[in-house]
Amino acid sequence: MDANQSSPPKLTRRNYSKIIRPIFGILVLGYILWRLYLVLIVEQAYSAEVWVRLLISGLIIGGVYALIAIGYTLVYGILFMINFAHGEVMMIGTFAGYFLFEITKGINVAGAGNPPLSFSDAYPFLSVILAFLVGMTVSATAGYFLEKIAYRPLRGAPRLIPLISAIGASFFLQNAAQLLFSPQVRDYANPQAIARGSGWNLMINESRIVITYTGVLTFVLSILLMIGLYVMVQKTKLGKAMRAVASDKKTAALMGIDVDAIISRTFIISGALAGAAGVMWGLHNGLVHFYVGFLPGIKAFTAAVLGGIGNIPGAMLGGMFLGLVESLGPTALGISFQLKDVIAFLIMIVILVFRPSGLLGEVLSEEKV
Amino acid sequence: MKLSRLFILAVIFVMILSACGPAAEAPEAEEPVGVDPTEICENDDFGCAVIAPGQTIKIGMGSPMTGGNAAFGIDAEQAGMIAVADAGEHEGFQFELIAEDDGGTPEGGAAVANKFAADPTVVGVAGHLFSGATFAAMPIYEELGIPMLSPSATNPDLTRQGSRVFNRVPFTDEAQGQAAAEYMFNDLGFRKVAFLHDGQDYGKGLAEIAAATFESLGGEVVELMGITPGEADYSPVLSTIAAQSPDALYFGGYTQEGVVLTNNMPTSGMEYVVFFGCDGTFGVDYLARTGANGEGTYHATPRTPPETPEKDGFDAAYQERWGQAPGELSPFSWNSYDTTTMLIKMVKEVSFVGTDGSLYIPRGALVDAVRNLTSYVGISGTYTCFPDGDCNIEGPTFWIVENGDFVAVN
Repeated sequence: MDANQSSPPKLTRRNYSKIIRPIFGILVLGYILWRLYLVLIVEQAYSAEVWVRLLISGLIIGGVYALIAIGYTLVYGILFMINFAHGEVMMIGTFAGYFLFEITKGINVAGAGNPPLSFSDAYPFLSVILAFLVGMTVSATAGYFLEKIAYRPLRGAPRLIPLISAIGASFFLQNAAQLLFSPQVRDYANPQAIARGSGWNLMINESRIVITYTGVLTFVLSILLMIGLYVMVQKTKLGKAMRAVASDKKTAALMGIDVDAIISRTFIISGALAGAAGVMWGLHNGLVHFYVGFLPGIKAFTAAVLGGIGNIPGAMLGGMFLGLVESLGPTALGISFQLKDVIAFLIMIVILVFRPSGLLGEVLSEEKV
Repeated sequence: MKLSRLFILAVIFVMILSACGPAAEAPEAEEPVGVDPTEICENDDFGCAVIAPGQTIKIGMGSPMTGGNAAFGIDAEQAGMIAVADAGEHEGFQFELIAEDDGGTPEGGAAVANKFAADPTVVGVAGHLFSGATFAAMPIYEELGIPMLSPSATNPDLTRQGSRVFNRVPFTDEAQGQAAAEYMFNDLGFRKVAFLHDGQDYGKGLAEIAAATFESLGGEVVELMGITPGEADYSPVLSTIAAQSPDALYFGGYTQEGVVLTNNMPTSGMEYVVFFGCDGTFGVDYLARTGANGEGTYHATPRTPPETPEKDGFDAAYQERWGQAPGELSPFSWNSYDTTTMLIKMVKEVSFVGTDGSLYIPRGALVDAVRNLTSYVGISGTYTCFPDGDCNIEGPTFWIVENGDFVAVN
């Protein structure tokens, strides 16, 4: 392959694409700026409260995307494969949280109020913590076994093979969940104190803006988890080992690092983050079904690529960016919401035209690619 | 290498021969009883479906049975199974309902139709349920002469294709869209309405017709926009529409998106805007999942079946067999029962036992029999099919949600 690339026709084609790419990028960028100018300065159709509402929903969904995107990026950083079953790991966490709330909703606390309060209404704080713990544990376990069963036997195989195994695992988990829990869409039973849609009211231009408790919980918790993960990767022994394995497996093994154990732990960590994202998703959006992980999974993968796959701050930035673009984009550009994903992906293409390795991604060495 | 390939070819050839054999020879076999099928089948436009003794007469049904709209498909299958149980035996042959999952999508519709087309004992299809899937499935049945009788595909264009095999019993989207717009403008006094749809054949057609009618009545259409189906949060689109302060939000689509929209409205600055749904958003699923947010919303259904002994009998059978009341999963339980029963009745009318003891169903005659159906009394009412394939074009009933229950308003 490489030897052929030095021949003259290949070179001209390369030059051609070198010119055409920036032109395409500039055209799209120009179109976006022109639409922004029309909507924001010429028409001024929307007042401040609309933008605040859009910003809030963008930040919330961005936090969830970022958490899931970290899972993609961690696994890619170490194994150089896309774990396409990651969305399903999140779905399992969502279900675990759902069942925990169903159980705590069913336990009546004796003597507290009349009619007796259920456990989750009497101790909302405790039950939410429990739900996150259970969701993260179950998802982490799922991630662990996913790696053991679907990826470890293929460790030495060409890179396409584990990818196909990942797609297969994704289908398997989706269909297993469908058979186990029925295709029916269910709703999270939130504790009364943080019911969906309840929150602090903010008045802007005499219009009520609801800052939902679940939204704040999602945003704050996702930021905390991201900081925690970053500190862990940078400061702890495990994090150091993970970085070592990511940069060179063979040398890391020679230095006495148990590579397989580190890979297992990476899957456990990414699974736990996906589980937390799943419980947040359930608490904030309320929907649980076997397909719930698919869309967020695909979006988070996009976010990871956007931020530079393999780069942890990149995944966080990419997730937040994608959430904000999805939420603000159609309104800011005055385009139908049906084209929401088109706008998000168009902006992603523009960014990748100018920065092919993503927002924060480094140029990967030949060996890694 | 070459030899083994030849061998495989020979095996396949023998298999094809043996598969074709009985069907081709059957008419010639001499038996004392029954009618000689040769002449009837040769004169029929599509030939005959032959059901050998021991086989069942299959009625197909294509509907979404997984995903967010699975309730529609499961309901249709459950109602259809009761219809098959009620149909009993015909000349010693049993009927069987084959419900396949088409996901409600065009790709799924075509896949299911091809599957049915490959089975020579499928004689009619009580579906498909969703308009998009029906569009894709129609040409496949058209070629083979398999009559369709959909309980719920309401896109107006479906009966404008000049199809010979496609028929349906629900009112069209055109009738519903116009009625909804008139009801909003005249009875509820709305003047500014935003129209959303899910971008699919059914919802888009419905919302566009409703918006056009509303505008022609003198109302203001503040927005006519599609949303991406399957999302869990629509607050951005709602916040944007809220800036134009409409009186109501009309939605053409299904329960899944309708529920999310309704639940997102209070936190998107639309707490004083009325949600006006359609027959796709009607069902207990909507009530259970919107709770207090669903209060005061409007929905539509096909005409409610009158209280008759037949309907009570079906309701009791459905309740006993499936442990829930018909109409809970979707509003099309009664229509699904009727379409399956009608197809079975037509099969009984046109079929005959051949001299070889097999049951012969002339496909062309069956297609025409379904199209020429007149004054058939089902549990939903009396059906007469028009030449374009619309069998029941009466307008919808509108419902408002009050205290967690649907209350009819017209």
